[in-house]
Amino acid sequence: MATKTLAFEIGTEEIPAFDLDSATKQLAEMAPAAFDAARIPYERIDVLTSPRRLIVMAYGVAEQTEALAEEHKGPAAKIAFDEDGNPTKAAEGFARGKGIDVSELQRREVDGTEYVFACTNVPATPVASLLPDVLAGLIPAIKWPRSCRWASYDEYFVRPVRWIVAMLDADVLPVSFAGAQAGNQTMGHRVLAPGFHQVPTADKLPDVLRGIGVLPSQEEREQAIRAGVADIEADLGLEVRLPQKTLLEVTNLSECPQPVCGTFDEEFLQVPEEIIVDAMLMHQRYFPLYDKQGALTNRFIITSNGDPKHAAAIVDGNERVVRARLDDAKFFYEEDLKNPLESYVEKLDEVVFQEQLGTVKAKAERLRALGAHLAADAGLDAAQAEQVQRACYLCKADLVTNAVIEFTSVQGIMGSYYATASGEDEAVAHAIGQHYRPRFAGDDLPDTQVGQLVALADKLDTICGLFAVGQGPTGTSDPFALRRACLGIVSMLDAGLPVSLGSAIDQALDGYAGVDFDRKAVRDQIEEFFTTRTKVLLRDAGCSADAVDAVLAAGVTEPAVVMAHTRALEQARSSSPEVMGNLATAYARANNLRDPQLGDEVDQALLTAPEQALADAIEQVQGSVSEALSADDYPQALAQLASLRAPVDRFFEEVMVMDEDQRVRENRLKLLNRFVGVFANVADFGTLAKG
Amino acid sequence: MDAQNGAAGATSQPATFQDVIMALQHYWAEQGCVILQPYDGAVGAGTNHTATTLRSLGPDTWRTGYVQGCRRPTDGRYGENPNRLQYYYQFQVLMKPSPDDIQDLYLGSLRAIGIEPDEHDVRFVEDDWESPTLGAWGLGWEVWIDGMEVTQFTYFQQVGGFECRPVPVELAYGLERLTMYIQGVDSVYDIVWARGDDGVEFTYGDVYLDNEKQFSTYNFEIGNTDFLFALFNDCEAEAKACLDAHLPLPAYDWVLKCCHTFNLLDARGVISATERMAYILRVRSMAKECCASYLEYVVGQAPADEDGEGEGE
Repeated sequence: MATKTLAFEIGTEEIPAFDLDSATKQLAEMAPAAFDAARIPYERIDVLTSPRRLIVMAYGVAEQTEALAEEHKGPAAKIAFDEDGNPTKAAEGFARGKGIDVSELQRREVDGTEYVFACTNVPATPVASLLPDVLAGLIPAIKWPRSCRWASYDEYFVRPVRWIVAMLDADVLPVSFAGAQAGNQTMGHRVLAPGFHQVPTADKLPDVLRGIGVLPSQEEREQAIRAGVADIEADLGLEVRLPQKTLLEVTNLSECPQPVCGTFDEEFLQVPEEIIVDAMLMHQRYFPLYDKQGALTNRFIITSNGDPKHAAAIVDGNERVVRARLDDAKFFYEEDLKNPLESYVEKLDEVVFQEQLGTVKAKAERLRALGAHLAADAGLDAAQAEQVQRACYLCKADLVTNAVIEFTSVQGIMGSYYATASGEDEAVAHAIGQHYRPRFAGDDLPDTQVGQLVALADKLDTICGLFAVGQGPTGTSDPFALRRACLGIVSMLDAGLPVSLGSAIDQALDGYAGVDFDRKAVRDQIEEFFTTRTKVLLRDAGCSADAVDAVLAAGVTEPAVVMAHTRALEQARSSSPEVMGNLATAYARANNLRDPQLGDEVDQALLTAPEQALADAIEQVQGSVSEALSADDYPQALAQLASLRAPVDRFFEEVMVMDEDQRVRENRLKLLNRFVGVFANVADFGTLAKG
Repeated sequence: MDAQNGAAGATSQPATFQDVIMALQHYWAEQGCVILQPYDGAVGAGTNHTATTLRSLGPDTWRTGYVQGCRRPTDGRYGENPNRLQYYYQFQVLMKPSPDDIQDLYLGSLRAIGIEPDEHDVRFVEDDWESPTLGAWGLGWEVWIDGMEVTQFTYFQQVGGFECRPVPVELAYGLERLTMYIQGVDSVYDIVWARGDDGVEFTYGDVYLDNEKQFSTYNFEIGNTDFLFALFNDCEAEAKACLDAHLPLPAYDWVLKCCHTFNLLDARGVISATERMAYILRVRSMAKECCASYLEYVVGQAPADEDGEGEGE
């Protein structure tokens, strides 16, 4: 059967870059689903988008839907009809539900019982008559973070809709939205081919667009950018870094992207590189160019949407913007350098940390105290301890400097420059520069212990303070990014930072003495928060839930310990699955039988050979497990427990625990109490047996 | 250079600051706008003029364009920064309902001041606008020319917490930036404001440099804070009295004075972060009451949909 092509274009004013990306993904799911729901056969659906248009192309669209004959079984006839043969409410309801009259119900016997049936026929329908509603339905179905009205219309969309193309082959379909009527005219690139352009038939739309300066898909535009960037790199022998976020943004900020290269005065390279990069990437969406050694150069790439004929004027204009920005940056940087970093700490008194928790100045003072505690706990020498405290006190000072107010992403890094310029210890400057790390999952940790302690103090102070005022994360809401802070702390502890989280929490809470809160409840919440995040981290790393639970059940709370133990337990389970499996089964069995009230004073005189063997093994293992635990050798503790497997298996094979003689029975239960007791500080093997 | 036509007339010299202003006034007058003069009290933005804030409300058609001097006391730099001023000019356009071809009308206005959009990279970059003190928000863009932000382009959705029906569109041009661009100068003080046939030029610096120096000193160092705190309270009381008398226009005039007084206190660094929120709330609640009163006593419609959050939020 002959098929047709559908082209549907929603023409808009410029859609925000990230909203456009989301809408592209939504349409790719919604459009096929809408066709399926309307039973419109098609071969393929493509979604094409640019900042000014959302396009659904459907190929191989049948001219009509297939006829559909359906038979629905209803209630038994004796329920559907009363004694006089009149339809009951049940029959009426069933018929109504199927869209037919009650008189059209048919009766037929199935397995000896008579039922009513509704037979419906949906005739083949011309697709052209179905499409207008299907297409009109897509427009309001797209979800936007924020949408608006315009002029006098009541409809909402991300930005005003200005034209619609809806064509089945050469025929225009009647679709309208907020004053825009569908036609066969699309709109060209603003500069390269402004105004309306005719689309002869639906299948030509993508090529018509390419001919009027519009690359109608994210992929095509990204390719064009990458190709243009590669040419510039090859020409200049320089390299560019394309952060995914900025790349997507520029891809969706132009209909016909053309990378062109600009230059700024070399004198600006004296300004810290991070500010220059921030000004380029974040503010102007330019890509800075680096030389082969990775050093920033004074060249950058602009992704233009203009006419290539005028590239020189466009580059010139952009260079002037960069000059003004870098002038600002240089001015701010030089102004900031006029005062020592420490002088800015006073000004932190004007910056609110959190409404109920006071100012950032207060935070800086709390951090200094917390830093002193952490340095002592980590066993640092006096010089290093002083570095930690100094960095803690100074780490937020750059928040009130001009450069950071203007270029927020360089916070911390600027502090580090200013610390060095103010003659602070190099280790202090370094720690300040890295104290926001890790900023995301997988980010580098601060690379010195001093830096890690400062980073930990900052994050823990924030977590404890916000929990104290009931602002912990809930559901998807985590405005202070506490989960990320928590993961950062756990990562540092897990990497071997030698401090106790528990005592650090106590110390951090001491810092909030002026805030009124239920200390015990808050402390429990914080500990629970860390435990939950630790679990998530372990699960993400592939550890099984029961292993984490078994370790936690032994009462450990320090995330680093939980992580090390869980990994060791998983390692033991995977290297000797049978031993660990049997041991878990035996443990579960013993745990079910045991009677803690009897204690564990076993009467040696009553023991038979297999009982004696188990008792001896327990005696020996008990000592070596606690030795291993106090030596922090968890794998050794597990290995010791594993050695109980043979004697306990033999015990259960040869010994009948529930002996008729009460003395014998109770003695055996005491032995099992002892057996279970050995595991207590290692892991709850009962949890492992359930899997 | 860019400005060879329109605003610059027959000469080969780029448009002066006043050429740009006059060209914009002329262009928008041709689009049927009422060309107003600046609001005569201190305002922080062209949006604060009654012709935008209050006229955005209600069902009537409204079109206006005007220059507005804007006071931002904290942005003063003693005349030492080439890009920052505590007093600068916006050209403001408001059209209600928003015309369907408003983007093209806007591009036409660039041509009118000598910037040919086809020869540049003109972008509409997402920028949602919100004014906490006016209880107003809208969606739109900042318009970039070759990477420089020159205009704020906004479809107003709410003002004073009230839905705007029909929706007005606001264009706010940064006049100094645009003229710096057109004239190719890197300091605002080098802008040529006026040029006589005899070649005598007046620069922005000739006109305003002393103003920047003196007001920066006043704003940051001299302002009597006790006086200003008292002034805020007095202006607020006066606004309330006007509202009680069902006079939203004078009430709003006093609210604007509250705003400016607050900005002066802010520049003196005597408003703590917590107080700041409280002051903003005081201004916002008065601004909202003015809008409600305007709707009731000027537009003549009961303000039923206060804080009606459209699905757009």
